[in-house]
Amino acid sequence: MKFRLLAGASSSLLLLTTLLTACSSGSGSGGSDGDGDSELTVWLMRDSVSAAFQKEFTDAFTAAHPDIHLTVQIQEWDGIGQKVTAALASNDAPDVIEVGNTQVAQYAQSGGLVDLTGKKADLGGGTWLKGLAEPGAWEGKQYGIPYYAANRVVVYRKDLFQRAGVDPAAIRTRQQWITATRKLNTGDQQGIYLTGQTWYALAGFIWDEGGDLAVRDGGTWKGALDTPEALAGMRFYKELQALGKGPKDADEANPPQAEVMAGGKVAQIISVPGGANVIAQHNPRLKGKLGFFPVPGKTADKPGAVFTGGSDLVVPAASRHQDAAYTFIKELTGDTWQKKLALAMSYVPNKTSLASAVASDPGAATMAVGAAEGRATPNTPGWAAVEAENPIKDYMTAALTGRDMRQAAAKASAEITRAMNTAS
Amino acid sequence: MSSFRPSRLRRLPLHAGAALTVLVCLFPVYWMITTALKPSRDIQSSEPHLVPHAWTLEHFRTAVDAPGFAQFWRNSLLVTAGAVLLSLVVALAAAFAVARMRWRGRRQFVLAVFIAQMAPWESLIIPVYIIARDTDMLDRLTTLTLVYFMITLPFTVIVLRGFIATIPPELEEAAQVDGCTRPGAFRRVALPLLAPGLMATSLFGFITAWNEFAYANFLIIKNQDQRTLPVWLSSFQNTFGTDWGATMAASTLFALPALAVFLLLQRHVTSGLASGAVKG
Amino acid sequence: MPTTEERTRPRSRPAPAPAPASRRRDGGRAHGRSGPWPYLLVAPTVLGMAYLLLYPLARAVLISFQDFRLRQLISGDAHFVGLANYRALLTDPRFWTVVRRTFLFMAVNVVLIMVIALLVALMTERLGRVWRGLVLSSLVLAWAMPVVAATTVFQWLFHSEFGIVNWTLTSLGAHSFERYPWFAHGTAAFVILVVLVVWQSVPFAAITLYSALTTVPAELQESARLDGAGAFRILRSVTLPLIRPIVMLVLCLEVIWTFKAFVQIWVMTKGGPGDATTILPVYAVQTALSQQRYDLGSAASMITVVLMSGVLVLYFRQMFRQEDER
Repeated sequence: MKFRLLAGASSSLLLLTTLLTACSSGSGSGGSDGDGDSELTVWLMRDSVSAAFQKEFTDAFTAAHPDIHLTVQIQEWDGIGQKVTAALASNDAPDVIEVGNTQVAQYAQSGGLVDLTGKKADLGGGTWLKGLAEPGAWEGKQYGIPYYAANRVVVYRKDLFQRAGVDPAAIRTRQQWITATRKLNTGDQQGIYLTGQTWYALAGFIWDEGGDLAVRDGGTWKGALDTPEALAGMRFYKELQALGKGPKDADEANPPQAEVMAGGKVAQIISVPGGANVIAQHNPRLKGKLGFFPVPGKTADKPGAVFTGGSDLVVPAASRHQDAAYTFIKELTGDTWQKKLALAMSYVPNKTSLASAVASDPGAATMAVGAAEGRATPNTPGWAAVEAENPIKDYMTAALTGRDMRQAAAKASAEITRAMNTAS
Repeated sequence: MSSFRPSRLRRLPLHAGAALTVLVCLFPVYWMITTALKPSRDIQSSEPHLVPHAWTLEHFRTAVDAPGFAQFWRNSLLVTAGAVLLSLVVALAAAFAVARMRWRGRRQFVLAVFIAQMAPWESLIIPVYIIARDTDMLDRLTTLTLVYFMITLPFTVIVLRGFIATIPPELEEAAQVDGCTRPGAFRRVALPLLAPGLMATSLFGFITAWNEFAYANFLIIKNQDQRTLPVWLSSFQNTFGTDWGATMAASTLFALPALAVFLLLQRHVTSGLASGAVKG
Repeated sequence: MPTTEERTRPRSRPAPAPAPASRRRDGGRAHGRSGPWPYLLVAPTVLGMAYLLLYPLARAVLISFQDFRLRQLISGDAHFVGLANYRALLTDPRFWTVVRRTFLFMAVNVVLIMVIALLVALMTERLGRVWRGLVLSSLVLAWAMPVVAATTVFQWLFHSEFGIVNWTLTSLGAHSFERYPWFAHGTAAFVILVVLVVWQSVPFAAITLYSALTTVPAELQESARLDGAGAFRILRSVTLPLIRPIVMLVLCLEVIWTFKAFVQIWVMTKGGPGDATTILPVYAVQTALSQQRYDLGSAASMITVVLMSGVLVLYFRQMFRQEDER
């Protein structure tokens, strides 16, 4: 099998294959079917790529690598943590998995991922987005390869802004933002639809104040929601949230805030730019009436800090086709496909050097402004447990429904501390 | 006529209670179906309408058009039918032995079956996974079938045992006198009487296996052709949130087989549960 | 019909008989104590339970004595830590709060389920044919609704912005319920889950109890009425004692099922807000699958099983007394 695979591979792959089969040939029995070709299985998340992009990429990839039979499997968000766990621990794992950037650390720590540090230079790692590359690394080794990023911007209704006489370009500070939103919040029109548990947004406000979600204290992590800075961030969130009818006990997914905005009575939401497509899709009359501006900062000199969301690609140690997996990663995270992907999906490409690729897309361009102030959640395996239980959401709901903010923050901080230190 | 009136009046509270029961039972079902038929804009309306103003089949179309629709149904039907039939056959044998025979260890067996009801299946998922992995049984519908079989087996044994106990052994004895063998007597005389009990218990098994998500998500990994319906139900959540209309449409389709079967067999189920459970 | 047979049998059941008498009765049932048949018949069940239940359970017990996290799941080289996991749990005040909440949840649910189910069963028995069919069909429909679907609908009904419950309450003049965030308050979320679990459980209990009621001989109630007993009195001293075994069975099953209620809570609140709706199974899954502490999760489940058995010991004792009578 090794022989045929090598014979079919291009010369650039030759070295690599020898390198990788050295450690994976022992378990290579699964690849023996299909004439020595690699049966490459890749897991991407639902809606991380459009069907059209997926087809275009698969066709091109298959044409360029006829020896690799690529199967892209779309995974559902519900129960994904368990699914990835099950995959990593199995004997025949998928070969490439898309993993949320904040989730990489826990899997890396468990020894279930292939260390790709040596490939960093080959992949152009020097210009990777920090918000993706840093969470993808654990103890100095690179396990997650930056795939794409997205951060929140304000999606607004141009017509409603115009009618209220508000100029979005003039909104540079939070105070101006509040004033403008108040003006827009009249009658049954909501100034902003901000659900009570949009914790990514809160994280941004807290960072702006100089606070953080959790801080490292010696060897252990501690929740930091009860610091004066973090409380100031929450107070601003509360002020903003009150300028609309967002439910205080739900997050932006229930119901999808884009669909609520499609209802026509909402002037702004905080969302990734892709949300605008969903709005237009649900209510075609709003097409062309949606604009974007970066989340305003505390002061006018820089935009607000935002959470860099996004995904990394990882290779499970149990993958039987690690060489082919790397070929796939190199293609998808390479400049050519990154530019196409960013345009097709309104993403921030994985390298800072590619930022200009999305200049023509107003949403992505706005996002890129915010991305300069992009931040990530604490880079530790324990953070995934915090997100899974999410005491931050409960805290936000408590603070918004009139409970004592300081007390609720202290409680949530204690829970964050516990979750981060109990988890593996 | 004159005696009719007061009795009717007297029955008023009774009928009010009945109406309330029907209303409370059916409202969520009704809400699921009408939500599935409403356009998205009416679903996210702060003034919900009891009767939809506009109707659409769009959500059903989304649900049916989801990739792998037919595959999901086929797999779920296979797994469910397999688990239910297996547990019926196995449980029938055990229930017969318990209800009709005296043997050493019978009491311990009954106790064990009862305790098996308490199995913490949510936490057995990791050991089951490890065992399946080490015996190369991951990614197979057979594994799921076996797990669902085991989840429903104890309940099936307990209820069938009660059923068999209600059938007077004298009936079978009479048949044996007429020249039937013992199994023959059981098959010809007792089995027809057991039909309602078998239906009641198999429906319970059906519901359990049909609904299960955690094991289906954890044990079927790379072989996507083996995924079951509950996984399909969760596919209407995307990065932007849950598509409520499609979820409700999918839920309606998902509930339909169970609802239909239950309604058809309603009489058997009720009479069956009664006779089955009386003997405890 | 088995039911007609049932009508007379309980009355004629002999009191605990001396050994020879019972042997004679067994003898009547052919091939009583002898032969391998009973063992062959239960063999599949026993083997199935051994491999598919006991073996995984033993592995789970093993895990609960090990340091077992994601790393060990992947590499499989766990080492023993003795009772450390149990110690960690039992000394955690949060765990005890969860235990107390589990019992509260179970008790509230079981009481409500039993009372409502009994009322519905009694009502159904007194209804005319049409109404009875209607009530039974609705019960069956509610019962057949998939748990996930029902939970999703309930979540939607109580949505603070778009839910029909808030809309109805507000329309009825209760303005404090305008956009009332149900899932923000621990107690409110707890109440919604109780409503959901009761709604899902009553059909099974009510139908079973109703069918039991149909087996109670009408003459007995009639003669009690002639003796001047009131409706409540008849219920208490004639009807209930007759259907006692079935009431106990339903009670026992409901205890087990509500103690293990998981899917509803997981889908609806994930145990929140805070810990307000975290009961033991939710706690175990949260620890095992979210924090990847499979060891602690296993230990929590084992404790759950022990606690549940404690509750059910009473039932088992009663069941065996009954067994002896046979």
